[in-house]
Amino acid sequence: MTEFRASRRGLLALGGAAVAGAATSGALAGCDSGSSKTAAPVVAKVPFYGAHQAGIATPAPARLAFATYDLTVDGSPQENLAALRQLLQTWTAAAAAMADGKPVPGDSNTLVAPPADTGEAYGSSPANLTITFGVGPSLFDGRFGLASRRPAALADLPMLPPENLDPARSGGDLVVQACSDDPVVAFHVIRNLARLGRGTVVMRWSQLGFGNATSNGASQETPRNLLGFKDGTRNIDGSDAQLMNQHVWVGDETDQQWMRGGSYLVARRIAMHIEAWDRDYLADQQHVFGRFKYTGAPLTGSNERDTPNFAAKDASGQPVIPVNAHIRLAAHENNGGIRILRRGYSYTDGIISASGELDAGLFFIAFQKDPRKQFVTLQRGLGAHDALNEYIQHVGSGLFACPPAPSGQGRYWAQDLVG
Amino acid sequence: MSRPVPTGALRAAAILALAGLVISGCSSKNKDDAAAASGATKVKIELNDNGCKTTPSSIPAGAATFEVTNTSANKVTEAELQQGGNIVGEKENLTPGLSGTFSLHLDAGSYTVYCPNAKTEKADFTVTGTATKQSVDPAVQTALDQAVTGYKQYVIGEVDKLVPATKTFTDAVRAGNISAAEAAFAPARYYYEEVEPVAESFGDLDPDIDARVDDVEDPSQWTGFHRIEKALWQDKSLAGMSPIADKLDADVAKLKGLVATTNYQPAQLANGATELLNEVASSKITGEEDRYSHTDLSDFQANVLGGQKAFQLLQPALQKIDAQLASTVSQEFTDVLDSLKPFQTSGGGFVDYSTVGDDQRRMLTQKVDALAEPLSQVAAKVTS
Repeated sequence: MTEFRASRRGLLALGGAAVAGAATSGALAGCDSGSSKTAAPVVAKVPFYGAHQAGIATPAPARLAFATYDLTVDGSPQENLAALRQLLQTWTAAAAAMADGKPVPGDSNTLVAPPADTGEAYGSSPANLTITFGVGPSLFDGRFGLASRRPAALADLPMLPPENLDPARSGGDLVVQACSDDPVVAFHVIRNLARLGRGTVVMRWSQLGFGNATSNGASQETPRNLLGFKDGTRNIDGSDAQLMNQHVWVGDETDQQWMRGGSYLVARRIAMHIEAWDRDYLADQQHVFGRFKYTGAPLTGSNERDTPNFAAKDASGQPVIPVNAHIRLAAHENNGGIRILRRGYSYTDGIISASGELDAGLFFIAFQKDPRKQFVTLQRGLGAHDALNEYIQHVGSGLFACPPAPSGQGRYWAQDLVG
Repeated sequence: MSRPVPTGALRAAAILALAGLVISGCSSKNKDDAAAASGATKVKIELNDNGCKTTPSSIPAGAATFEVTNTSANKVTEAELQQGGNIVGEKENLTPGLSGTFSLHLDAGSYTVYCPNAKTEKADFTVTGTATKQSVDPAVQTALDQAVTGYKQYVIGEVDKLVPATKTFTDAVRAGNISAAEAAFAPARYYYEEVEPVAESFGDLDPDIDARVDDVEDPSQWTGFHRIEKALWQDKSLAGMSPIADKLDADVAKLKGLVATTNYQPAQLANGATELLNEVASSKITGEEDRYSHTDLSDFQANVLGGQKAFQLLQPALQKIDAQLASTVSQEFTDVLDSLKPFQTSGGGFVDYSTVGDDQRRMLTQKVDALAEPLSQVAAKVTS
């Protein structure tokens, strides 16, 4: 512990120099290995540049700060596109620096000027920070002259009953998903991007999330959602390149080459009727999911990762996993092989003032190569039959095209779309 | 809606991070591709809070690689090589312990190594040649001098109008004429809101004139405009208000005496303008400033116009220092004032603020934020 503290001080003195910080702490962690798990400082960095954006296949850190933004420009399409291009250059430079554990580029030391970086993450490790960017369907209206560049897969989501979407928590021209094991580091991203964009964009809505509610890697312990059930047992493992190419990464099939190597993000704010759920009896809770609550095993198995047997019947001839159980309706075996990569977080925003009940639920995030064939198809089935619908309601929604990552320094987000 | 204009220095700084890389890439591509290779002259720049140390300070023309290191400088985190004010190469974000390089092909001439925030920020750097002159623009200094003089005259002029406008209001209060007092309330406050940051620099004067009920520890000691506002709109009685009216007149007279002898710095004009916009965003938009009379939009407009006045006085100097920032701020001021127009009444006043919906309040806040962010960059630009 003493050495860990020393390294923290070193990090602070370095003032966000995470390159040096990571090297120092990494060495310390090496020395410490085996002695004390809790003392190992978390300084991991996730590469920002590359073929795919981070924050999709990469393991989900503990915290989420999610925000959508609307452009406020009202010039000619050429002027608006130029403003958008400049915004994305600025944002990308800042995001690359933050993912590297550095402050927002610029001057933060002139006494008579506001610092370029807002400062709350100063001296902190990026803690696996990933910053994922996407564009919404509304970007392809007349404002930027981009209508012909809209991918067919970015079709507006149809109505998906039962839903009760709040326009104030839906949509947006642009999206930023920041994930980190440090909630301050994640929040710092969406705040600073909003500030850098002032005059060009305004934040439309935002959502903080915690306790990465959905596992997206076999190496991760499957987390539990706020209903107390393990979530993501059968999710796509982000490190499985074959499954990722098959279901998540946009390939040659796209009608818009700027999306090759990208993915489509669907976000749904799913409110849970927590108080009602908590008084449902255990057997019914398990029937709703089709799994045992504590082990996470399917009702037809004994271990979490046992493959569910959807054909199994009980003594009275009824299916062991009920016909309207959540896992039956969501399973790829029952959906023509359709799969999505889920990467959701739990959320709570205090209480609902009108009722005094908890305002909490799942901030569902999924990535896929074509939402029309994947999320929409799955949600139609779930919306119509899922036993869970008694306890949840979709109250916010967003659909975004996340282009591939900038390949290296000097490149910027969506450059092949707006450049 | 705002125009697609860049947001000034913050953005420019981040763009630089991209542009800098592109520039160094281009240089080596256009000229000798192997600037960083064996033939390149090596130059060391050590970042130091007193000033950067460049070794050697003169090199022959051709390929050069600059090694920039920061061992312990806390204020200086970047070095730029400039020629004629243009950046030809740079390395930034070098916090203590970090180092980096940039390579380029240099023609003969005079250059400057620029280390922002060092005690001595600039040092000459020569490439096999003659020194060039460094020009300082005396026109900028003249423009800044004119700005502070102009602002002093403006403040004196507005406070000169505040005194009789306040007396019209206080006379009605002393006469017990509620409707006349209500009509005179917003017009009197207008002149005060235009110059409020100046008044705030005089200690207790601002709270005595402008405190809201939750600003005072002892409500029985509450004085100024808002005390009388409550009597007019909420209590609907002016009983006991004459002494408050007398004190308001005296405080405003005191303000007039103080502003006659106060001088300003360019940065104070700029920061004062930003403060006025922050006033709008934090207390006018919420409707808490004029909570009984709902005349907030009149204060809103006065705050913005007061800030615009300070900015316009600085504009000729800023135009020479950072033309893009000057144009951005100027446009955003116009944008905010345009967004107020739909709320104006035929009589020149504004609609009751309680009739302005949440969506409209949000729109107004976003306009003010879009203005205040680039405006906050102005002070540093006009501080030499």
